[in-house]
Amino acid sequence: MPKRPLALQLDEVVQAMLVSLQPRPEKAPDRQLASLVRVARELRDLPREEFRAALKSDLQRRASMSESTAAAKVGSREEQARAVHYMRPGLKSITPYIIVRGAAQFIEFLKTSFEATERIRVPAPDGSIMHAEVAIGNGAIEVSDGSEAYPAAPQAIHLYVDDPDAAYARTLQGGATSFYAPTDDHPSGDRWGAVKDPFGNHWYIAKPRGWTPGPEGLQSVQPYLHLREAHKMIPFLEAAFGAEDLGTHKSPEGLVLHATIRIGNATLEIDEARGENQPMPCHLHIYVPDTDAVYAQALRAGATSIDAPRNAPYGDRAAGVKDAWGNSWFIATYLGNK
Amino acid sequence: MRPKGVPPQKAGPTRQDAEGVLVEAAQNDPAKFDALYEMHFERVYAFVASRVRDRASSEDVTSEVFHKALANLPSYEWRGVPFVAWLLRIAANAIVDHAKRAARESPAPDDPPEPANDPVVRASEMRAIEHRAQLFRLVGQLPALQKQVVHERFVEQRSIKEIAQRLGKTEGAVKQLQLRAVQNLRAQMEGSHA
Repeated sequence: MPKRPLALQLDEVVQAMLVSLQPRPEKAPDRQLASLVRVARELRDLPREEFRAALKSDLQRRASMSESTAAAKVGSREEQARAVHYMRPGLKSITPYIIVRGAAQFIEFLKTSFEATERIRVPAPDGSIMHAEVAIGNGAIEVSDGSEAYPAAPQAIHLYVDDPDAAYARTLQGGATSFYAPTDDHPSGDRWGAVKDPFGNHWYIAKPRGWTPGPEGLQSVQPYLHLREAHKMIPFLEAAFGAEDLGTHKSPEGLVLHATIRIGNATLEIDEARGENQPMPCHLHIYVPDTDAVYAQALRAGATSIDAPRNAPYGDRAAGVKDAWGNSWFIATYLGNK
Repeated sequence: MRPKGVPPQKAGPTRQDAEGVLVEAAQNDPAKFDALYEMHFERVYAFVASRVRDRASSEDVTSEVFHKALANLPSYEWRGVPFVAWLLRIAANAIVDHAKRAARESPAPDDPPEPANDPVVRASEMRAIEHRAQLFRLVGQLPALQKQVVHERFVEQRSIKEIAQRLGKTEGAVKQLQLRAVQNLRAQMEGSHA
């Protein structure tokens, strides 16, 4: 009887192995086949590539959270003071600045949905809110009614909370519409739900499931930018703001499925816009050690100027640029109580 | 010119010295933990997968091990004990904890205890782990199509028919790719042990 091709013999054994059957005994066990089967048997435990990449990304995210702590430990007292002092107390390197029509109602929504606390409210002469600052968890969001020059610009925020199911339910009571209820099946591995609030903002309400936050806790508030040609945003952020790509997952076609980007002590996330997650050009407030230098750097990287650096009356050295995607970046250095 | 009395093999760092440098770098800057992860992921996963029953648990435990390692890195002291031994000790304990949790959640008194519940990593086991980790790394170096067939067949457990449809190839061609991939791996494993 002619011998069957080795490819068929191996596949028979592999098939049996995968359905947990004993391979059919061979009359005269083929030595060549036996050594291949030994390799095949071990391949059943081969790790998923997606898992390897996702865990790496989680670890990078967590490492970046503890980085500032580690740096502070090795730095001198003077360095520590300098590191902290360029940021306004209560704010991190990146804070979303959300402009909405009905800022007062929006703040109420944040309080009831996410247990936010209002820290600052600066009213305009007409009674609207010129500027407000709201704390959520260990992060913050800045809010304004805006003006003609600054019309409403909702954005997407990835929010880490203790109880995503409860927060999700409260957003619905507050008038949000659901994209989907919290699930454990989100590709990030986190328990993750998504809603759109009555003001047009997207909220990705999550809690880590497969990873443990570092000693300083989670970064509660992270802006999430859905972009066209998202892959081009990463080199822009690196060149403009000295950002660091903490991990990018791309599709086989090269589209960014998810990337975490660090600026200073905070992170933001980006992905390629698709489906209901379309671009939402927004405003972001970033604290840097040297506004003038970063402003110049951002223009060299291709941004256009909104405001040249100036000493703002509230005690920041401040400037503004717009990126090629239409997002505004308010660059600031806290000058302290000088 | 080499100074007198210094044998050439002392001139460069040994593998363990190099690892010590990486550990110290990561202790000073957690962002550098990456290099240690890249170096040891396959070993930790191979060890965990050999002791727990299913893929989801292997992933949960592996994730826990690396997160614990990152969190506890400042307490790790480099005393010539390989970093991997430290990682596998964390892994062995995590596996025991995992088994206890699983037993609490769905007690099955008739089941024999898993071979997992041993917080000690034996030398023979260490050799098997190294072997398997090496195999996992070699899969990453296979030609793209062979690598894809290996992942779809062994990890995702797709049928030959399904893989053929996804790749736009005949079932015979997919079986040939599977054979070539396994032959390649065997040849390289034999090469690495020569």
